[in-house]
Amino acid sequence: MSPEMQQVLAEKLLSMADDELVLAHRNSEWTGHAPILEEDIAFTNIALDEMGHARIWYGLHQELTGIDPDEAIYFREPRAYRNARLLELPRGDWAFSLVRQYFFDVFEMVRAERLLESAYRPLAEAAAKIRPEELYHYRHTHTWLQRLGLGTDESSRRTQSAVDALWPHVFQLFEPLPGEEVLVNAGFVPESIALETAWKKIIQEALAGAGLHMPAQPAASPGGRTEHTAHLADLLAEMQGVARANPGAEW
Amino acid sequence: MGAPDTQWPRYEVFQQTRPGGRYQNVGSVHAPDPEIALQNARDVFVRRPQTVSLWVVPAGEILARTREELEKDPSWRRPAPPPAGATEKVYHVFQKRSQRRSMGYVTHSGEVRAANRDQALLRAWEQFGEGPVFVWWIVPAGAITSSEEADVASMFQPAQDKSYRLPGVYHTRTLMREAKKQQEEDKA
Repeated sequence: MSPEMQQVLAEKLLSMADDELVLAHRNSEWTGHAPILEEDIAFTNIALDEMGHARIWYGLHQELTGIDPDEAIYFREPRAYRNARLLELPRGDWAFSLVRQYFFDVFEMVRAERLLESAYRPLAEAAAKIRPEELYHYRHTHTWLQRLGLGTDESSRRTQSAVDALWPHVFQLFEPLPGEEVLVNAGFVPESIALETAWKKIIQEALAGAGLHMPAQPAASPGGRTEHTAHLADLLAEMQGVARANPGAEW
Repeated sequence: MGAPDTQWPRYEVFQQTRPGGRYQNVGSVHAPDPEIALQNARDVFVRRPQTVSLWVVPAGEILARTREELEKDPSWRRPAPPPAGATEKVYHVFQKRSQRRSMGYVTHSGEVRAANRDQALLRAWEQFGEGPVFVWWIVPAGAITSSEEADVASMFQPAQDKSYRLPGVYHTRTLMREAKKQQEEDKA
């Protein structure tokens, strides 16, 4: 692998890892606060799964760069994070977190399906491990999307508001990184546009099935992953605080 | 009277830990419908890896009797005859046969065909009543929602890779002891 390619691949893996980590952290904020006990446990399980996926991607990133995952997670500044902004937004109400998780689950599911065929073997192996979990996440969040969409006036209203609020941020997930075409040409990662098409088809049907409507595609491009909202700094301050207070601690 | 119960209906959860093994009641979950009950059961009870199948059953569908209840009022031995032409259905019989502490409560013993739950209890007692039985549950087969064979890979198998969820993986107690010892040495 050429050094240029290796660099793009490392950057890609880092963005995948950061997406999972930041979402996992946001979802973990529901632990102890979800609407009912059983869903508290279910949502915490999902957060743990995403954290597990983050660990896989940070591990592959480490193989290429030598950067220890703990170092990457606890000692990077917000501007060096490469997660999509969708995932750093505050958790909002339950509908907001649920719909965000659903959007991400569909994204991860369609990506994992295609990564099974990746010419970069570590990616294919990771996808094989992640995909069954994503199928379950999808089942869970899709079930809830339907229940909330077709439930009461209030649940339907809140769920539609969540869809509307999240929509302008979603498409950043599908923005290719600078130079990503070398990975696509090598068969390492699927083409973003293919993911976006597959994602939209599933979402369109699901929203219609839940009595919700799909907003119009935002006109403006969401821009690169180097820009963040102020919410990411708040999130990282919380997440990194303990590790930074006592660097190198073992437990 | 306390506050009204606003919780969702309760579903009893039955777990099978190996193919062909006996289902065992492991607890209950609240859920608005059977599909969510099944998912909640998975999330609450399948953190340990050994599960191949789950059943969930609305608690209200289950006829539950303890040995004491059956002894106190023996009228259950003469159930009202079912109406002529009533069709028989399958009922699963679960029993608690040991007083030992266990993760499960009642365990599957077999099934009977009967026109209703009362008749099923009598038939279960005739067929599976040998020896001490502390608790009987009669579960209509039609009330069961089961996970499917195709669900195993996504619902149950991933738990096998998650040793980090088991508290034993973390050596916190050893580390705490060491830290305490260090603290005492520092003091001395």
